[in-house]
Amino acid sequence: MTTTETRQPVLELRHVNLHYGSVEALHDVSFSAYAGEVIGLVGDNGAGKSSLIKTISGVNVPDSGEILVDGTRRHWRSPHDSMAAGIETLYQDSGLAPDLSIGSNVFLGREKRRRGLLGRLGFVDQTSMEHEALEHLARVGITIPETNRTVSELSGGQRQAVAIGRAIAWARHVIILDEPTNHLGARQSAEVLKVITSAREHGLCVLFISHTLPHVLEVTDRIIVLRLGRVVRDAPTKEFTVESLLGAITGLNE
Amino acid sequence: MSTSSERPESAVAGAPAPSRLRRVVTNQQFVLFLVLLALIVFFGIRNSLFFRTGEFSNLLTDFSGLVLIAIAETFVITAGGIDLAVGSTTAVTGVIVAGWIQPLVTHNVNQAVVLLVGTAAAIVIGGLAGGFSALLITVFDLVPFVATLVTYSVGAGLALVISHGAPVGYNPSAIYWSASGVGMVTWLVAIVLLVAIVLGVVLHLTVYGRYNFAIGSNEFAARAAGINVRRHLVSVYVLAGILAGLTGMFFYIRSGSGAATTGVTNSANLVAIAAVVIGGASLVGGVGRWAGTMLGAAVLTVVSDGLIFINVPPTWIQVVVGALIALAALLQSFRRRSRRMT
Ligand SMILES: Nc1ncnc2c1ncn2[C@@H]1O[C@H](COP(=O)(O)OP(=O)(O)OP(=O)(O)O)[C@@H](O)[C@H]1O
Ligand SMILES: [Mg+2]
Repeated sequence: MTTTETRQPVLELRHVNLHYGSVEALHDVSFSAYAGEVIGLVGDNGAGKSSLIKTISGVNVPDSGEILVDGTRRHWRSPHDSMAAGIETLYQDSGLAPDLSIGSNVFLGREKRRRGLLGRLGFVDQTSMEHEALEHLARVGITIPETNRTVSELSGGQRQAVAIGRAIAWARHVIILDEPTNHLGARQSAEVLKVITSAREHGLCVLFISHTLPHVLEVTDRIIVLRLGRVVRDAPTKEFTVESLLGAITGLNE
Repeated sequence: MSTSSERPESAVAGAPAPSRLRRVVTNQQFVLFLVLLALIVFFGIRNSLFFRTGEFSNLLTDFSGLVLIAIAETFVITAGGIDLAVGSTTAVTGVIVAGWIQPLVTHNVNQAVVLLVGTAAAIVIGGLAGGFSALLITVFDLVPFVATLVTYSVGAGLALVISHGAPVGYNPSAIYWSASGVGMVTWLVAIVLLVAIVLGVVLHLTVYGRYNFAIGSNEFAARAAGINVRRHLVSVYVLAGILAGLTGMFFYIRSGSGAATTGVTNSANLVAIAAVVIGGASLVGGVGRWAGTMLGAAVLTVVSDGLIFINVPPTWIQVVVGALIALAALLQSFRRRSRRMT
């Protein structure tokens, strides 16, 4: 029994099921996540990790089951609802619009409007968005000289950095990172791990998905193992080694 | 000053942005502007009457008949779709409105009232046509190409059925009004240009326009960012329908009647799409500019009017327009390829 379990979970899933047509992607998934906790979500390709986080973020609508935020049952109709509840998601398949500027991407879906009448008419305040985007990204250690370039002009790693920066900038309760170290070099990967640790210090709950098991063992407090859409292990990170984690993922030594 | 021999890495952020001059010169709109000037000079040299204000006024009027549906296509194409229906929506709106307001015309109702009622009706009819496409796309999951082709056929057929293939209504005072204005600019043209400018502002300066580009650039990203993609797409096709309806009203006012051939026999939908492509928009969405479309529409107008002016048979004009589209598309794939190589 750890002390966290006496607190209210910031995010809780109860018996979530999800199908894509006849494909069963999630089967009876339940778990709780607490503020200030980093949870590793691991599993083989196709285990259902992305499906799970898309269900939490409102991209997918579960067939059955409940999602609770701060103890309240929530029904997401779209990602807009989960964002409003303080849940921010970095998607594995790029969540950026390549033809828009970096600044516009950081503010996508939350465009700053101009003051007064123009703002009410829907005019965007591009200058201040570009300006603030720079600050948002700098705060998480991403330096990009000009935010008015389009994302299509960035390298894969830089795009990933912008996406992470955006998620960190807006997350209030939960931040979900689906393979955030994808496309990243060793130094930038280490940066991301640092960002995760500092998010925990700020009291956020982090869901970290990665195939790089040493990274998962390094930064997480708890690890949830998914296999064929089911939770097969949910235990504190200290109970795992790379070998035992690998075993749980593949199910070979059972 | 960077040269063409610069290292490829400079395309990545971190390198300084290209100089302002270079950005302007490589800009497709600037090239288009030069092309437009060259065309005007060319036609002017071939026939000096081309510079007469009367012809300029005709050019403006013909431009106005194209520009609204071209802007409609700009919204649709940058959102990642295509609308083949605008040509027949123009026709069907023209004949329906002409029929509806003819009783007002014959009872000598105030002309301003007649035209305003007609415009309101045109907005409704055009909006319904666009809404039909939107329904097929968002509810029945048809791809925009097929959905709007269906709308196109239904519209073209309805226009023929309603009009029996003959002009509908007769409103000489509308024709008379369409020629009035200040100098070379008629009121009709001025209103169309005003609407065009408002739409340019919406596309580039508002949240609505931002969503439009985001959806065309990466629909998943837009959805994941909390944008209501379906609602936006519905609104875009309805907007395109409304602009086609207004274009139908425009031609009604110009000719004093509605005809099933308006916008259909001249493949106005393809000309409008051509204007957008020539203007530099990407047919896969996410990229395009209002100014590019305006220039594209201007080039197409000058070419087709100019060719008539120097006595090229009208049948050849379609060929020339086709060649222009091919040229613009070639330029686009050329740039895409060169970008991939850097
Ligand atoms: N949009 C979709 N339509 C149909 N089936 C899908 C869709 N997305 C995922 N699936 C299926 O659902 C299952 C889980 O996929 P998911 O993407 O969640 O796996 P994952 O654990 O994220 O894998 P990876 O490590 O490769 O990213 C797979 O069998 C996959 O084929
Ligand atoms: Mg995945």
